[in-house]
Amino acid sequence: MRMKTIAIAAALLLGTGLPTIVQAQSPKTIAGGFDVGPGGFPKNFNPLVATGGFTWLSTYFEPLVIWNAGLTELEGDLAKNYTVSGDQLTYTFNLVKETWHDGKPFTSKDVKFTIELAKNKASGSLLAARLGDVASVEAPDDSTVIIKLSKPNGSFLSILSQVLILPEHALAGMPPESLATSTWWSTSPVGTGPFKFKKYVTDQYVELAADDDYRGGKPKVDVLINRYFESPAAAVAALRAGEIQFTYVETDDAASFKTDTSFKVIEGGSYVVNYIGLNQKVDLFKDLKVRQAIIYAIDRNAIIESLYGGAAKPANCGYVAPQLVPEGLETYAYDPAKAKALLTEAGWDKINGDKPITLLTYYGSPQAANVMAAVQSMLAQVGINVVPRVVDTPTYNGIVYKEGTPDWSAFPMVYAGLQNGPNPAGINPGLNKSQIPPAGFNTMRIEFDDLSAAFDKALGETDASKLDAAWQDVCKVMNKDLPWATLWVANRYGVASNKLKDFVWTPAPAGGPYAAHPEMWDIQ
Amino acid sequence: MTVVAIYPPVARKTKGPLRRALDRFIENRAARAGLLIVIPVLIAVMTYHWWWPYAPNAIDLKAMNKGPSATHWLGSDGVGRDVFARLLQGGRISLLVAVCSVAISIVIGFLVGAIASFGGRVVDATAMRFVDLAMTLPPVIFLLVLASIAGTGIAPTILVISLLSWPVLSRMVRARLLELRERDFVVAARGMGAGLPHLLFRHGLPNCIDILVVYATLQIANAILLEAGLSSLGLGIAPPEASWGNMLNLARSTVVLEQYPWQWMFPGAALVLTVLAINFIGDGLRDAFDPRSDLS
Amino acid sequence: MLVALSLLIFVLLRLAPGDPIDAYINPSVPMSASDLETLRDRLGLDQPLPLQYFGWLRAALSGDFGYSIQRSGVRVLPLVMERIGPTALLMGMGLAIAIIVGIAAGIYSAVRRNAWPDIAMSVLSFIGISSPAFLSALLGLYFFSVLLRWAPSGGMQTAGAPFSIADVLAHLILPACLLSIGHAALIMRYMRASLLEVLNQDYVRTARAKGVREFWVIIKHATRNALLPVITLIGSTVGIAVGGAIFLESVFNWPGMGLLLVNAVGTRDYPVIMGATLVIGVCVILVNILTDVAYAFVDPRIQVA
Repeated sequence: MRMKTIAIAAALLLGTGLPTIVQAQSPKTIAGGFDVGPGGFPKNFNPLVATGGFTWLSTYFEPLVIWNAGLTELEGDLAKNYTVSGDQLTYTFNLVKETWHDGKPFTSKDVKFTIELAKNKASGSLLAARLGDVASVEAPDDSTVIIKLSKPNGSFLSILSQVLILPEHALAGMPPESLATSTWWSTSPVGTGPFKFKKYVTDQYVELAADDDYRGGKPKVDVLINRYFESPAAAVAALRAGEIQFTYVETDDAASFKTDTSFKVIEGGSYVVNYIGLNQKVDLFKDLKVRQAIIYAIDRNAIIESLYGGAAKPANCGYVAPQLVPEGLETYAYDPAKAKALLTEAGWDKINGDKPITLLTYYGSPQAANVMAAVQSMLAQVGINVVPRVVDTPTYNGIVYKEGTPDWSAFPMVYAGLQNGPNPAGINPGLNKSQIPPAGFNTMRIEFDDLSAAFDKALGETDASKLDAAWQDVCKVMNKDLPWATLWVANRYGVASNKLKDFVWTPAPAGGPYAAHPEMWDIQ
Repeated sequence: MTVVAIYPPVARKTKGPLRRALDRFIENRAARAGLLIVIPVLIAVMTYHWWWPYAPNAIDLKAMNKGPSATHWLGSDGVGRDVFARLLQGGRISLLVAVCSVAISIVIGFLVGAIASFGGRVVDATAMRFVDLAMTLPPVIFLLVLASIAGTGIAPTILVISLLSWPVLSRMVRARLLELRERDFVVAARGMGAGLPHLLFRHGLPNCIDILVVYATLQIANAILLEAGLSSLGLGIAPPEASWGNMLNLARSTVVLEQYPWQWMFPGAALVLTVLAINFIGDGLRDAFDPRSDLS
Repeated sequence: MLVALSLLIFVLLRLAPGDPIDAYINPSVPMSASDLETLRDRLGLDQPLPLQYFGWLRAALSGDFGYSIQRSGVRVLPLVMERIGPTALLMGMGLAIAIIVGIAAGIYSAVRRNAWPDIAMSVLSFIGISSPAFLSALLGLYFFSVLLRWAPSGGMQTAGAPFSIADVLAHLILPACLLSIGHAALIMRYMRASLLEVLNQDYVRTARAKGVREFWVIIKHATRNALLPVITLIGSTVGIAVGGAIFLESVFNWPGMGLLLVNAVGTRDYPVIMGATLVIGVCVILVNILTDVAYAFVDPRIQVA
């Protein structure tokens, strides 16, 4: 029967399908899966509520300042340049000359409007809390914006890079409360970027057209398309079928593209540290020796070599960036004998023995399944019996984030990740005792005084020259106290067709934004 | 078997009915082939830990994704586990889950369908709306809720699969019995005041046996596949425990699908072979117990 | 019935772990407490549960299913309604292929029982039944889209191209064929079993004894009666099919009900789940009534309640 259906398929396809596929598209088009993978946020069009997907949003909206493509420093985007006052309280931005896609000029009033809108919780903005330090926004003339802070904030510019500037003339008429549910975002948004919004075909794709008078020059392609995929596997199929020219891929898939000369594999750090969280509300992991035993029992280098193809860095604290890691850290090299000895010393037989312990995760990829299997097997060798359980993200959050008294036995151990860069403060919500839910995301309920003190000190540091040393202290304390069994920071991959020229992509957390210069992208 | 009363079988031989059924079964070539597959599979699955050197969950990161060889007959998987050992352990779990859940769903499905068709209009309408309700409920939601309540493991998996699969059967049983209800001998039995249990088991069951057998043989495959679906939702048999469904799930990774086909083809083949064999046996059993088969 | 369904779904949803806010949080990019509060306000989840349900029910009874939580400003009813078309197209095509192939193969198999074509078809049908939907979808995608490039890899139309029927058909044919494999195999098995059962019945033997030609015996007397359980099966399948083929729609990104529902469940988009389930429920009930009518058509003795 299968042969029959295949034959029918073949017959019908030859009859109807081929002509339309072969038809060349006259406008120059780049299509990609720009919202595939962990940095994407498919089907969200409102930058105020975005927790990801900035790679795509920043092709038609733009921020004042933006990370460079290497994510090493911030540079101007809609701000030509900027100055910061000596007390770090006043930021002055000189704006570029640009027009909105509907022809109206872009001015400082738009910036003032956007930042005030983003600060206003009524608009549903998720930037409101992070912009809490903004005391005032002034627009002395059309091309100058002055932002005053109520107290110095070392991450202010980095926060500002995710505030995509919106047109006052199009949005001022709507009450902020109705903005979050407005269809403006997905039907007729107006931005300043190199491409302008053309249409959204529900759940299928978004189509942008070149903005001919873009300040960086007329974009080299006429049409930019973002296709949605339900799984990275489907995106990989479309890439290989030649229907799209770019997508994020899983580590395993990247390996198979490396040998293919018609594709280019783009590799970059994930800025996400993977760890095994050890719930401090259960009695299992209160003893430091047990936590040490767990990390000694896991052969991280072997897992990195075999399951990540070497493309991950072992983490001995929350960081792997060289400027944040101090000298003389304990490396916890694989040593199952030592792990067993530590467990005996701690009296593991009495604490738990060989009773099963759930290892909860929201990572559903095939690779994560292999990692979990390896971890389970390695821990079993020293006498810790873990049972992996994979759930979807809402379930995971529902279990670990629950306020009050969650069911601690549902997540004694988790396999998870947390963003640790480019801003090192990223892991604070997961480890500081002030961040226990509902206040923050310290879902493992870690209440280590010295660690919290180290975080608070680093967060309050206003002297840029002492900042790295402060974060190094955090690293040192993490390495000693082991609030988590930190594992590694892995690389992530995108694959682009060799037909693309001057294409820039990097696996930035939340998709950036970063200076990808889509106007330069070209296709043969 | 009710037909027996109407057409007494021609007693050519002096054997009892059970003996004759057995003979007919043995004579059936397809059924014999089925047995020849199922019995060795069952024995291998139940005894492998005594004679196979590898354990299903023992990883070996130095021997990952190796193809079939003399040491690993069916190759190794993404963390270097022996595929053959996992195949046998997986068979143990999957067959247990499938057989138990099929048995439970047959009981529920037959009873609901039969009671609906013999019980009169009100019962019929109520039962069928109930079935509609059960069929309309999106399995994804149902599974999510059960995942949080029942948790993982063999017993919850059996429960969930049984609960998901009975409605289709009950509708088919009802369809068959609605037709049967109008036949003379049933009308007569009712006229003579036969009770519901008599109708169910003397008339209903024998006349549904073909549907039940087909359903059972097909549902075995379905149950194994459902289990695969469950484990990808964090329910069912959680990896790294082996089950055929879990092993088939590996094919979700493009790399495994293309480059390491032995990791999913062998469990796939085992599944097809077992289902095929079970079906041949089912067919043979049905024919063996069909009193009319001697006549033709 | 529908009210019972909606209440059941409502209760189940609230029992299910995770809510729309949990779905919004990326565990590796944590949000602050006040961000979460902003979200909670925006999503309107701070009312007590019974109030939420009765509020929803009152609005639903007047035809207002509210707004999607995850898609800002999109009304649920049009969102669900626009998915019926693609699902009907995919399912209609897939089931049509399945019914034709399945019934024909079933009859042939039953008539040529235990001959080699029967065994060959049995083996094929069991491969069809035992292949997980995701596996046949992925394999089909791999062979026909990636290797052979006969069919597009997903979506309902070529991105950026103007709408054309040929384009939609080109996107439709591969998923429809893949969808039909499992159903055809199932229909074939039931058709074969049912026909074998019927071929042994008295009236068939009577017809044969009367000298009716074998072909007409099978087509007119046997097949018609053997169709009953098959119709039920098809009815049930159609009922379930309205809910969409989840795996297939996901792999091929076909914008049908299944994809909508999976997305909605994945984001815990309560109003969309409720709306979609109710629309599916209406369809299932309609199909079941039609199935009952079809029984009466095939077998006039059956009176439908």
